[in-house]
Amino acid sequence: MIVAGTNSAIKNTSYKVVLPFYGYAALSFLIATILILTNTTAFTQHYFNPPTLAITHTMALGWGTMIILGASHQLFPVMIEGKLHSNLLAYLSFVFAAIGIPLLVFAFYEFNMGVVAMIGAILINLSVISYLANLWLSIYHSKSRNVHAVFAFTSVLYLFMTTLLGLLLVWNFSTNVLSQSSIDFLSLHAHLGIIGWFLLMIIGVGSRLIPMFLISKYENQKRLWLVYVLINLGLISFIIMFFLSVKVELYFIPIVLIGLSVILFGNHIYWSYTKRIRKKVDEQVKISILSVALTIVPVIVLIAIIIMFATVSSSQLVMLYGFTIFFGWITTIILGMTFKTLPFIVWNRVYSRIAGLGKTPNPKELFNNKIFIMNGVVYLVGFIIFGLGIVLTNVLLLNIGAVFLLITAVLYNFNVFKILFHKAKLNEYKNK
Amino acid sequence: MNIKTNNPEKNELAITALYEVMDPEIDLNIVDLGLVYETDFKEESNDVIVIMTLTTRFCPMGESIVESATQAMQQSFPEDKIQVKLSFEPPWDQSMISEAGQSFLNT
Repeated sequence: MIVAGTNSAIKNTSYKVVLPFYGYAALSFLIATILILTNTTAFTQHYFNPPTLAITHTMALGWGTMIILGASHQLFPVMIEGKLHSNLLAYLSFVFAAIGIPLLVFAFYEFNMGVVAMIGAILINLSVISYLANLWLSIYHSKSRNVHAVFAFTSVLYLFMTTLLGLLLVWNFSTNVLSQSSIDFLSLHAHLGIIGWFLLMIIGVGSRLIPMFLISKYENQKRLWLVYVLINLGLISFIIMFFLSVKVELYFIPIVLIGLSVILFGNHIYWSYTKRIRKKVDEQVKISILSVALTIVPVIVLIAIIIMFATVSSSQLVMLYGFTIFFGWITTIILGMTFKTLPFIVWNRVYSRIAGLGKTPNPKELFNNKIFIMNGVVYLVGFIIFGLGIVLTNVLLLNIGAVFLLITAVLYNFNVFKILFHKAKLNEYKNK
Repeated sequence: MNIKTNNPEKNELAITALYEVMDPEIDLNIVDLGLVYETDFKEESNDVIVIMTLTTRFCPMGESIVESATQAMQQSFPEDKIQVKLSFEPPWDQSMISEAGQSFLNT
């Protein structure tokens, strides 16, 4: 029996690195919903308008990306079975993004694509480079190579391509550095981020964590590799078609490839769920599984867009497509997984040194479960009403939906900051 | 449950202590979860070594589980020097969960 004499396999990423990402993401979600409520009419116009650009980047960078960066700094060691290389690089990644994102969002909101936007975009790229270097060095020093780590690392490469193209697009507004207008590159920029970054990362992490939380006997690495190949083929074919300016109907090829990968991943999660040992599934995991199902919604909307574009251009469907991605799929998985990861990180910080000295609260007791469930219900109502408001270009529905989304963000922030500011309650529990 | 030991009598006491140590995520004790592999009682040096595993390497809850196991053992063997060491050979899998653990997770 080989014994790890120094117990090196329990040295985790410092909580000081991880927690700021969670707090920042929660506040970004709140700001995004306030921006939505104060700019609902922007959702009845063409999608390329300043408030929509500002909201999209708050959601994509401040909300989705920041929380994934935070959680992955904590979870990447589990995936690669090795330590995170550097806490300093993780700090740098946070600081660069934390300054860069509001600069870029402000510039979009004011639609002043000058120095402020450039500085914001450069800082965001520095953040991604720090993250990429950290992950690469962590993998390099780890002995384990597996499909989950490959998913995660490839996704960060696509994130870098997305932010680098984003920087060029910002620059292109003032100086002609690209062959065409920045607006022409939007779909490429968006899909590198949505498919390359979010989809690959979420499948990479989700395929490791969801079966782990379910204690599932199901394992199918071959299927996950197939999903990986299909997504990359889909995205690369999309990039080639974009530069060749092919007929719009040909875009069905990447959609079918990526749609197939989503169905296969959904099937993977279904079998993990069916073959689980742990019969009682908590709400956080249920919401995460719901988000897997929601992945197919943007694919369906995209197919509708292609069909509509063949006949008539529909800006509202494009708006709905973006909404179902950022407020549907990505938000759902974050609403679930936050409360499956953050309480444990904080619990470990507060109780690991005094564990065993008395009865401690369960990590699930660090947040208010009733508010968590209410959060889920309010969110679903808001998501459906706002989505209908976009399709029907109805400002009243958009306003009602926006209020529900804002309440969702407030409830979410309440629980997140309740966890972040949790203090040890050992004595209280000791006396029970 | 198949825990290797060189002292069955003291091992009983150790297992009783380790039953109190929970995996906070699964809410099941580490004995029924199958995380405890071996107890080694060194009479001449008063060292007690517990060899255990985690459900995954770099488990985010690993530090607190090891600390809890150390504290629980120290309370049962106050005169001895406790060392809790990790082993990932063999790696943990679901078949290591005891019947009682399986039954708990099935409800």
